[in-house]
Amino acid sequence: MAAPFVTVIVDNEAVGALSDVRHAKHGAALALLEGVAQRRQRRGALRVLVPVAVRIEAGWDRTSPASSVVNRVSGASDVELTAAGADRATRIRVAMAVSVVDAAIAEAAEGAPKPVVIITLDGGDMTALAGRITGDVRVLPI
Amino acid sequence: MATDKMDAILGRLGSAGADNETVVSSVRLPVALRDAARALHELGVAPSFNEVLVQGARDRILALVHRGGLDAHYAHHPDVRPSPAAVAMALARMDGSELADHPDVIEQAAAELGAGRDDLSGDDVLVYAAALFAHRPV
Repeated sequence: MAAPFVTVIVDNEAVGALSDVRHAKHGAALALLEGVAQRRQRRGALRVLVPVAVRIEAGWDRTSPASSVVNRVSGASDVELTAAGADRATRIRVAMAVSVVDAAIAEAAEGAPKPVVIITLDGGDMTALAGRITGDVRVLPI
Repeated sequence: MATDKMDAILGRLGSAGADNETVVSSVRLPVALRDAARALHELGVAPSFNEVLVQGARDRILALVHRGGLDAHYAHHPDVRPSPAAVAMALARMDGSELADHPDVIEQAAAELGAGRDDLSGDDVLVYAAALFAHRPV
């Protein structure tokens, strides 16, 4: 039996679904974050993370009124892109020919407590990427 | 909690660099708790007491603001609140549970537990679904 997840990372497409109540996947994305919120009440140390590159790609300005929905429902904390993190993400991007955002997600997943769940809309590319990361990293298409 | 205040808290707490600014604060603590934390730190099995306090407070506050944020969203959009079965299915998928491949069992568990209850959590449903699944006819 697999271990319960400890960390959740949202990608830019998942952020888009969470941000807009009219998005076709809003309800499905919300069910995932509702589950996380319920577990947090009982178990505490769960993390929802969003790499800052994801926020930029998704247009998520935390100070903008337009971001109020995703601010409320995600419960996500930023993953800062440090100089060392940028180096690691660059190596991932070069080695795997992925986008800057996907490399930032992989870098965040590598450094996060496992098991990690990456919430995305399209699991294809991300699944291949997750397979190259050490540790239990699960990709969850909405 | 006022929605604009909630938004401000969420924005500040989640932002990169939120931990960079610190403040010295006086907190009244049970002595036994402090002594236990110090002893664990000296034994090398726990970080400093300060780290333990901050991490514990962060986990609890993040849990509270996440709950509050979702409840505020449901207050504005009651139609988007996920059902207990949907939350259970989401948790099963994130956990990598075999129950994720058996939505009928999760639906049955939610239906049997949920009659007349509005406090049903996804994990409540999952626990019951696991029992149903373990005892299903073969």
